[in-house]
Amino acid sequence: MVVGDVTTAVDVLVLGAGPGGYVAAIRAAQLGRHVTIVDPGPAGGTCLNRGCIPLKALVSASERYQQTRQEDLAPLGIQAESVSFDWSKMQAWKQSVVERLSDGVRRLISGNRIEFVKGSGWFMNAQEVRVEGEHGSHRFKFEHCIIATGAGAAPLPDLPFDGTQVLSPEQALQLQELPETLCIFGNDYIALEMATLFARLGVRVRLCSPGEQILDGVEPAALRFVQAGLRKLGVQVATKVSPGSLDDRPLIVSNGVRACTAGLHLDAAGVQADASGAITVNTMLQSNMEHIYAVGDCNGGRALASVAIKQGKVAAEASAGQRVQFAPLVIPLIALTTPEIAAVGYTAEEATRAGYRVVTGRFPLAANGRALTLGADNGVALVVASADDGVLLGATLVGPRAGDLIGQVALGIEMGATLTDLSEILYAHPNLSEIVQESAENALGRAIHILSKN
Amino acid sequence: MNEFRLPDLGEGMQEAEVRRWLIKPGDSVKLDQPMVEVETDKAVVEIPSPIAGRVADIRVAEGQVAKLGEVLVIFESADSSATTASRPSNGATRQDGAADPTKAAPAQSASAPVASTMTKQRVLAAPAVRKRAFELGIDLADVPASQPNGRVTLDDVLAYAERAKQAAASPAPREKAAGPAAPPEPAPAQPAAPAPAAQPERQPLTGLRRRIAEHMERSWRTVPHATAFDELDGSELVALRQALRATAQQRGARLTYMPLLVKLLIPALKEFPVFNASFDEEQRAIVYKRDYHIGIATDSPEGLMVTVLRNADQLTLLQIAAQLEHLIEGAQKRSLSLQEVSGSTFTLNNVGSFGGSSGTPIINYPEVAILAVGRLQEKAVVRNGAIVARTMMPLALSFDHRVIDGALAGRFLARFKELVEHPQQLMLDMI
Repeated sequence: MVVGDVTTAVDVLVLGAGPGGYVAAIRAAQLGRHVTIVDPGPAGGTCLNRGCIPLKALVSASERYQQTRQEDLAPLGIQAESVSFDWSKMQAWKQSVVERLSDGVRRLISGNRIEFVKGSGWFMNAQEVRVEGEHGSHRFKFEHCIIATGAGAAPLPDLPFDGTQVLSPEQALQLQELPETLCIFGNDYIALEMATLFARLGVRVRLCSPGEQILDGVEPAALRFVQAGLRKLGVQVATKVSPGSLDDRPLIVSNGVRACTAGLHLDAAGVQADASGAITVNTMLQSNMEHIYAVGDCNGGRALASVAIKQGKVAAEASAGQRVQFAPLVIPLIALTTPEIAAVGYTAEEATRAGYRVVTGRFPLAANGRALTLGADNGVALVVASADDGVLLGATLVGPRAGDLIGQVALGIEMGATLTDLSEILYAHPNLSEIVQESAENALGRAIHILSKN
Repeated sequence: MNEFRLPDLGEGMQEAEVRRWLIKPGDSVKLDQPMVEVETDKAVVEIPSPIAGRVADIRVAEGQVAKLGEVLVIFESADSSATTASRPSNGATRQDGAADPTKAAPAQSASAPVASTMTKQRVLAAPAVRKRAFELGIDLADVPASQPNGRVTLDDVLAYAERAKQAAASPAPREKAAGPAAPPEPAPAQPAAPAPAAQPERQPLTGLRRRIAEHMERSWRTVPHATAFDELDGSELVALRQALRATAQQRGARLTYMPLLVKLLIPALKEFPVFNASFDEEQRAIVYKRDYHIGIATDSPEGLMVTVLRNADQLTLLQIAAQLEHLIEGAQKRSLSLQEVSGSTFTLNNVGSFGGSSGTPIINYPEVAILAVGRLQEKAVVRNGAIVARTMMPLALSFDHRVIDGALAGRFLARFKELVEHPQQLMLDMI
């Protein structure tokens, strides 16, 4: 390793190795470019190391534990005795999942001949970045730079995260011991999954939503299942809670994120950001400096890894001279609650407001054979379509694997599928995905397994 | 009751003409529903409804001019929930403005990160089709659909692109905006038999046409115009463009002669600062500008617009090319901001792009000079006693004779000519 102030020329310099950054780096390498990626932490960023993956691991572990409750298993003839859990072992397992994935990303990075530099970088001018890392200081002169430095949890005003009493979601996932009670503030999927996770493990949870709903932008009819599920877990739910009235401790605050761009010296490169530090970009993910791109949370878009991943690809391709843009019609949204909920596209109300004449369809999980064999009949499928031409506009699914089923609806909307398209194709039977077809057929007034409205 | 007043639409705007009401008394309007088209100095702006409610009264009729803050429309009742509820969206934020596929959408605010295309006017097309259309710079809305339902297929897009290419290659010299040519229109109807004593049609000047008329009148009346002519050898310019074109294309820019001419103009303006100035009538003073905002005479469906390439001296060739493309297209759609149509310090008029070989330009008041460049054409010229064919470009420089004399104008033209004939000179001042 070189020590001292040496300038290395690279085609593409990627700042941040999260899902936006490493995907951008790999795609750029696939396009034959010479790529260096810089991150002070391990490969995978927040999502893989401290966010989504650890959260999903723990939520799934807690779900497995919850499913061993005797009163649920007894009707199936299963006798389970003295099931218990060990939080620290659960944490260790979570960590093993994280490390396996992070190792996989590292291999992908090196397998694509991308140089990984551990350290923090900042702009010296519009062509150069200095990286201060474990092997000293390094200068990179780049042709294109892709900023993917992500975002951090935004604290509430006057309520900084202290790691013990007021916790960010990341900090909550690293708790050494489970508290007896927990207050969770937020109305996003993170708050809901946190509440579900800890309540399943016996923590008395109070969920405080700042909004009217516990999850913003979701069909209220679908949300009722989630709310009932939380109640069943003993979660106390309060809505329209003002942040000032949060006295319970420990408290987890999920209040959105703030772009991590403060240390980048964006002004040295002439890159514009808004007041919150989010870098302003166009749909090709170019900042005002056209050779500098920003993808994922650091550009202030929806803080979802799915968005960052797609934007990473777009930025890498655009920087290689391709004409591409980030323009999905819909972004699927999932919360691993009990039951699970997933939504994509418009709700009926949103579609109406957007000027559509709307037709809706509904199919309860209780009428789906596969759901009954899973012992999970609690849920529903709701679809929204245009009444004029039957074009699919949105759907909300509640029930087991709802998050895995929503992908087909997203595909349908992106392809411009109609209710008739959904009703024409053949779904495996008995299968959970049939709820999508039957809700579409219900909208057409001809679902078989429920009495259709007319 | 809820009054809606003409808001400040930017850059010192004091009044705006109401072009078209999209609502009428008695209508129920939704939040953000387009309500009225108003025309400010040079841009047409559509104002969406700030609330949901019923229209009680319209106070300013079409064609009338409203002052800043004047009541435009009165709503009966405001649906407060529509104004206060922060609109949830599953990523499908509605932002019609971002639907222009030939450019990347303008920089977005953080709150609306997704340029949604799922509007009511959405064109049904699979993701792969949308991707290809963007790549080809084609607006899907322009592509005639072969499928019932208006569904656009990949074949439709490719066929459309092919037609556009052929149309562009046809002899019409008209160098149009970036977008592909419109689909062929039905043949014009046969002229009717001459009607006896036909009344001439009178059309009052409105909107942009009226403003152009006023502006030209003022310039012509106030400024003692004089025009200097010259002709330059464009061979090097042609060669330079040819050399750069493919690379520019790869980097997503369409390199026409205009960006090169702008780039070559800047050194001449810097060396002759009086050409980048204006004349202050009241103080009888010459105001030397420090910015180089180059006005570009641009054709729009409703007439001439001078779009403005701001800080042209600080832009690279590619940036100028991209910006020009945006301006030309914006002029076509009348979607430019005030910033983009005002504040120029010197104006360049590419007469050639409108089909003419040359012309005498009228100064864009209060500037003091305007340069018209004509069409590049092969001509027989005498070199060293022999007649040779060279690609020539006519020049016409109109100047305000109050502040600039013919000799200076001649020197300025000569310098510009020298620069265009030897564009390598640009390298000398490159950083």
